[in-house]
Amino acid sequence: MEYRSQRIANWYFTIALLLFVLQVMMGLWLLSNYVFTIPQWLVDRFPFATARAMHTNLLVLWMLLGFMGGTYYIVPEETGRDIWSPRLAWLQLVVLVATGVIALAGFAAGWTKGRPLLEIPPPLNYLVVAGALIFLFNVGMTMFKARRWTVIQGVLLGGLVFLALLYLAGIPFYRNEVIDWYYWWWVIHLWVEGAWELVTGAIMAFILMRLTGVDRQVVEKWLYVEIGLFMFTGIAGTGHHYYWIGAPTYWLWVGGIFSALEPIPILLMVIDTMTYVRHRQVQIANPHTWTLALGCAVFHLIGAGVWGFAHTLPQINYYTHGSQVTVSHGHMAFFGAYALLNITVFYFAMPRLKGIEVYKPTLGKIGFWTMSSAMMLMGITFGIAGVLQSYLERVLGMGYMTAQSYMHLWMTVTLVLGVCFFAGVVITVIDLLFPKPAVKPGGA
Amino acid sequence: MTKKSAFWLFFIGTVSSAVIFLGLTWDMHRQVAALSHADKLSDKVVAGKRAFEHYNCNDCHTILGFGGYYAPDLTRVEQRIGAEGIRYRLLHPELAFANAPRKMPQQHIPEGEIDNLVTFLTWVGGIENGDWPPQDSKNRLTRGEQRLVAGAAVSPGAAVFQTKGCMNCHSLNGAGGTFGPALDTIGRNLTMEQIEHYVRDPKSVNPKAMMPPQKELSDREREEVAKFLGNLK
Ligand code: HEM
Ligand code: HEM
Ligand SMILES: [Fe+2]
Repeated sequence: MEYRSQRIANWYFTIALLLFVLQVMMGLWLLSNYVFTIPQWLVDRFPFATARAMHTNLLVLWMLLGFMGGTYYIVPEETGRDIWSPRLAWLQLVVLVATGVIALAGFAAGWTKGRPLLEIPPPLNYLVVAGALIFLFNVGMTMFKARRWTVIQGVLLGGLVFLALLYLAGIPFYRNEVIDWYYWWWVIHLWVEGAWELVTGAIMAFILMRLTGVDRQVVEKWLYVEIGLFMFTGIAGTGHHYYWIGAPTYWLWVGGIFSALEPIPILLMVIDTMTYVRHRQVQIANPHTWTLALGCAVFHLIGAGVWGFAHTLPQINYYTHGSQVTVSHGHMAFFGAYALLNITVFYFAMPRLKGIEVYKPTLGKIGFWTMSSAMMLMGITFGIAGVLQSYLERVLGMGYMTAQSYMHLWMTVTLVLGVCFFAGVVITVIDLLFPKPAVKPGGA
Repeated sequence: MTKKSAFWLFFIGTVSSAVIFLGLTWDMHRQVAALSHADKLSDKVVAGKRAFEHYNCNDCHTILGFGGYYAPDLTRVEQRIGAEGIRYRLLHPELAFANAPRKMPQQHIPEGEIDNLVTFLTWVGGIENGDWPPQDSKNRLTRGEQRLVAGAAVSPGAAVFQTKGCMNCHSLNGAGGTFGPALDTIGRNLTMEQIEHYVRDPKSVNPKAMMPPQKELSDREREEVAKFLGNLK
């Protein structure tokens, strides 16, 4: 750690990790609703819908806190200057966490906007916007005062501003259900396949540059190419969600063609990562951080690129749309691209923020391999359930619940895998919260 | 490639995709009124949409394929189970789902709001969305239906059975719902006449019956379906 103000990042990371644990616990409860029959009295008090709102909002909240903490960690090193106002960074954290807590309590009490993934009701939306504005202002001021512009900074700031602007599309009440979904995807799709990819590209470029010592000019050049392809395919690719909502039929063409190209920038990211690692200029200090960075790139490609491509063409999406195939892809993609990215950042920054240059990787390795293999298998079992659903319900025309009864076995297997995944999460979180320095060879 | 040309690749890529996207967004706004029958989008529909969001229906059910996957898609629910079917499930979920492996919460929704919800769902059912979902498509017979048609029954009663929502709860040859009993051999237990009474008012035949009265059927449709089912022995 070179700058005092970077320390604030540790708080963002710590809270993010605790929310991650809660998120996964909610996931286990959701899946239990598929596997067991929940009695009516409990369904009346705590329905699946409420738990789902919690699972997904916790997800978004912890990941955004992770990105923000990551930004507060990176920006001082990129600009060569402390954060403009650490106090504002604190205020922002308090505002966002308070909003999150109120929102979760509100869901439990039945206070919701009722739009999937965007359940946070309007008054709280404005608190989120306030938190985001404080953040952007603080980061922007730090960069402007420093006047040491780099491409990484620019992409990071651009991605964050884009991310904040898109959030606004999800706030109004739309009278027409079709238009409502149209703009819902400006938040969901343009986030994960647009703005978040910009942020990811910038953060990955920074970490890889630091880890490998590869020349900044090379890293930044390829960063431009990656995000250029992300934007080109991702923006018009939004159309892959407009096939069946009552929008004009040209979206079948535009959405199908552009989104089918979306795996290309992800593949490029994997190639770049591998190239940098091969041409590294410095000694490997923490091999586990490298494993994570590479694992993130590869899982990103599998979850988003391969699993996304599998159901993005309209001919296939007609049968798989809104089934467990979607769930399979949602989990693999979010985990591979954004959970692993955050965990990479945490392992890069958290030990160092505690004065540990070289950390002991034993628990971290166990945690990473447990989570990754469990999630890979969950992706497969959710996927099998989804293919069964698409065939039995959509092709054969079986009733919804009849088809679900044939999927029950696979949901049960997924629950077992989910428990393994949870164990991996707990190990990882404990290791990150209490990192140990590596024992030097020869004993210290 | 130089860093400069990489920048231009980024710039042109972003702008061109954004121009296409925003242009088509503008055009979508021109066409959406016709595709969604916005002329029928009354205040009552909007009130129903608000209720749909207030009770967080969408985090268990998908609509137009989006939302939670825990319960059946609602895009064409009005065509599938009818207004009465929707009302019954919203008023008495604890009865409607008493034997089902998954329950729906009893949210004590006032009758007025249920009415709005039905209006909203009916309007959604009319959206021209490329004939999705496939299982509710009227243009495509499902394989299960094709098998039925090719097999025993091309009778009008079979058609009523398949298209008026009976199969959401009941099954034949393993195709259909599990909500109510399978009806493959119903003719052994009930006569044609009993079936006709039952469909009109289930409680008149069996006071403990949970099936809602099928008020949407015309007299002729009810007769035909009773004739069809009464012969399944
Ligand atoms: C890291 C990037 C990505 C993440 C985090 C992600 C996540 C998700 C999630 C959560 C959904 C479900 C949304 C809902 O309906 O509730 C979804 C849907 C979808 N995604 Fe992705 N995705 C990513 C990238 C991609 C890519 C690159 C493609 C295509 C090549 C893709 C194709 C699709 C398709 C076609 C659907 C719609 C599924 C349906 O019709 O039900 N995704 N994605
Ligand atoms: C033990 C771990 C987990 C289990 C058992 C689990 C289970 C579930 C279940 C059952 C749903 C609801 C699907 C439905 O509507 O029917 C869900 C939704 C979701 N979960 Fe998880 N989850 C877990 C971990 C995660 C993780 C780690 C992530 C992200 C990194 C995640 C992201 C999501 C997303 C994005 C959705 C919404 C999906 C969509 O709309 O398609 N979950 N989860
Ligand atoms: Fe998408």
